[in-house]
Amino acid sequence: MFTTGVRRVSRLTQRTRFIQTDATTSTVNTAEIAHFSRLSSQWWDESGEFALLHRMNPVRVQYIREKLTEIAREEKGEDVGREIEQRRGAFRGMSMLDVGCGGGLLSESLARLGARTLGIDASESNIRIASLHADADPFLSSPSSTGGSLQYRNTSAEHLLKEPERFDVVCSMEVIEHVDNPAVFLATCAELVKPGGHLFLSTIARTPLAFLLTIAAAEYIMRKVAIGTHTYSKFVNPSELVSFFQTYSSPSMTSAQPWITRTYDGGQPTRKEAEVRGLIYNPWSGDWVLMSRSASQWGAAECNYLFWVRRPLAG
Amino acid sequence: MTFGAIRRSVSTGVLSYRHQPCRRTFSARAIRDFDVIIVGGGPVGLALASGLGSYRMVRESLKVALVEAGDLSRTRDWTLPPDSYSNRVSSITNSSRVFLEDIGVWELVDKSCTCPVKEMQVWDGLSDARITFDAVNLPSSGVSNAAESSEMARLTENLNLQRALLRHLESIRSIELLQKTRVESIQREDRDGGHGWPLVHLSDGTTLRARLLVGADGFNSPVRAYAGIHSYGWSYDVRAVVATLNHSPRGAFQGPNHTAYQRFLPTGPIAFLPLSPTVSSLVWSTKPALAEALCRADPSVLAHMVNAAFRLPEVSVRYLHNLILDAHSRGTSISGEDICNEIAFREKSHNIPGYSAYSSVSSMLSPGVPSNDAMAVPPLVTSTQSGTIASFPLKFNHAESYLGEGANNRTVLVGDAAHTIHPLAGQGLNLGLGDVRSLVQCIVRSVAHGGDIGSYTSLRPYAAERYFTNHKVMSAVDKLHKLYSSTWDPVVWARSIGLEVVNELDSVKAALMMDAGAGNLERPQWDLLADGIKGVSSGLSTAKMLGQGIGVVFNTGINEIARRLGQH
Repeated sequence: MFTTGVRRVSRLTQRTRFIQTDATTSTVNTAEIAHFSRLSSQWWDESGEFALLHRMNPVRVQYIREKLTEIAREEKGEDVGREIEQRRGAFRGMSMLDVGCGGGLLSESLARLGARTLGIDASESNIRIASLHADADPFLSSPSSTGGSLQYRNTSAEHLLKEPERFDVVCSMEVIEHVDNPAVFLATCAELVKPGGHLFLSTIARTPLAFLLTIAAAEYIMRKVAIGTHTYSKFVNPSELVSFFQTYSSPSMTSAQPWITRTYDGGQPTRKEAEVRGLIYNPWSGDWVLMSRSASQWGAAECNYLFWVRRPLAG
Repeated sequence: MTFGAIRRSVSTGVLSYRHQPCRRTFSARAIRDFDVIIVGGGPVGLALASGLGSYRMVRESLKVALVEAGDLSRTRDWTLPPDSYSNRVSSITNSSRVFLEDIGVWELVDKSCTCPVKEMQVWDGLSDARITFDAVNLPSSGVSNAAESSEMARLTENLNLQRALLRHLESIRSIELLQKTRVESIQREDRDGGHGWPLVHLSDGTTLRARLLVGADGFNSPVRAYAGIHSYGWSYDVRAVVATLNHSPRGAFQGPNHTAYQRFLPTGPIAFLPLSPTVSSLVWSTKPALAEALCRADPSVLAHMVNAAFRLPEVSVRYLHNLILDAHSRGTSISGEDICNEIAFREKSHNIPGYSAYSSVSSMLSPGVPSNDAMAVPPLVTSTQSGTIASFPLKFNHAESYLGEGANNRTVLVGDAAHTIHPLAGQGLNLGLGDVRSLVQCIVRSVAHGGDIGSYTSLRPYAAERYFTNHKVMSAVDKLHKLYSSTWDPVVWARSIGLEVVNELDSVKAALMMDAGAGNLERPQWDLLADGIKGVSSGLSTAKMLGQGIGVVFNTGINEIARRLGQH
């Protein structure tokens, strides 16, 4: 344990991790898949390995819901926004993709809120556990009146890209820090979003604080997370995601515009194009707290954070 | 079984699992799925159903069922002639009332049968140290209506509240009431991966499957047993006698009947709760043998005994109790007339003048100018309403957890299934309604976030919010009970100091009032109350300091107090 710790500390000096597109097509890391396959039976033990993830899930869904409502309100008016807030099935009529669904924590919530949901994972045992769990829930296993549905597939985002279907919303929560080639992975997820659709990511920033909390404390000291779950060098900073989408434009479009066209001082994107929100764990209450936009600018996104970006209608 | 539902789509070369309605392998009879199954149709269970039904999002997305063994339609159509009242009465605190208003139930409560409490008089049976609480001292209570905010609480018959809840539920079609149906057994569904849900087998032969099973099924909760939740507690050596009392109205120069009275006798507190100008409710906690004797004796005996219990010095009250107990053990009974004569004799020997409010003959004779102590004791009881005398045992009981532990337990407890409390502070139902408000919010939040409402993660905030709050109230009330059941002189002396100290401190007094009814929506009042209890025990430490000055012998006595109190 100590030696790996030391090795990780030495990587703290590696300050930037450029996200570059390269020729490799597969982003699936076989060692990571093996790690999560080993843990797959634990996915639904709410006080076990994934307890922190279980508690984080409502906050992630809350964020997706708030952001989509905010955009709907802006584009379709106050009344539509209010209706979405109050009705059941806030995601009714939307197709959503959960990349790296694991045991299906997020996928199930999306389907309950009325989305036609597809969860994909490169680990077959994850998909098996997710299916088994959803089967026990009559709401998810039978066609529901909210129009929500849930389907799982053992495949990778790259494979899915070869199929014609594109999604209103693509989510990939706590995944990008486990893939091999984050730039390809980001581009793949981005391509799976319909024009005008949304991409939600959550990950961990590559900061000394994040190293202390997510690796040193959570894995080695408190033992709340299995050792080896996270690798420091694979963490991604918010500014790296922002700058990726400042230059990224969809290769399938001819007159493409970048997803993020301009930023304010300090590199903050505008509210309608992208957003970074910090997520902070309060160990006393055991809850995750979603930080405000302004706090996220001032260091609240030093560790766990959520990232949202919207695909332009022509881009 | 589950793998039967999985298809492999060979064409794409990847594994694909699609969910289909599961083929269930249980016995032939169909199983009905519900998101929430509430076991128990008491006020707390009904309030939970009503609370859930008051949210559009919940109405549209959750299937809720409530199972009750009794006949709910009789409760819904329950009615009594004017001036008759049923014997189970609760003091609804302002915060409970705000919650009932919010969910649209309070407007269905028959207000003409409820009575505001605007003042409380509490005194010690031995030392006669007394505290007077007035609604004016209350911190703001969050009640919009100015007239209602001057109340400390509203006394309401439980049946009146239950009827209002049932009428409210009639308008909510998505909630199914399964009345006259017993829960035969509860078992865990057998499923791969331990993902089975609770199956509730009912007496009509049907089986329900619960995403979330709520135990609102009282002290002997079968749901608690299924969930494997232990509870700890004890029975007090006390029974509560309840009855509906008739009395003459207060005179023109006296205040209205808006004062609740409670006297702490060493055998337990006796409380007089106003319901109308001429009717009040009795809750008398006392030794089981006396409770039985009082219930068996002629109803006029109880009426006289209630008058005496609020008026005579403790030594005479004890004498009268022994009289009744002796007669009861001999198998004979004392007539109301005999008791009346005995009381008159003892009043004379205590030199209680005939014009004093403490005399049991005075108020009836002179309806004119009242004596100046007229409001110190409740009006004289003339009779009890027939069929209202009953008694029940008192317990302290707290579940070790409100949520079933272990993966996929899917159970939660509310109200008496989670906690049973001494009625001296009138908090039982209010704690239950507090549970309901918190659980409803918790479920609504989970639905909004697409959560599985039966999961531990979804329910955790409810347990976190309620467990410690309830525990503080319960221990404070338990300690009050124990403090006031002692006849031991140093304790009596110390608590009389304690009470008089408390009387001086308006803020502590306001906090103590929470105990008997009033309430803010926020939590700090109970923290203040806890300080109030500490105030009583700091009376003890003052006594202890004095004791050290006086001498070793006295000091050991004080240490004994501290030791005895520490045990409780």
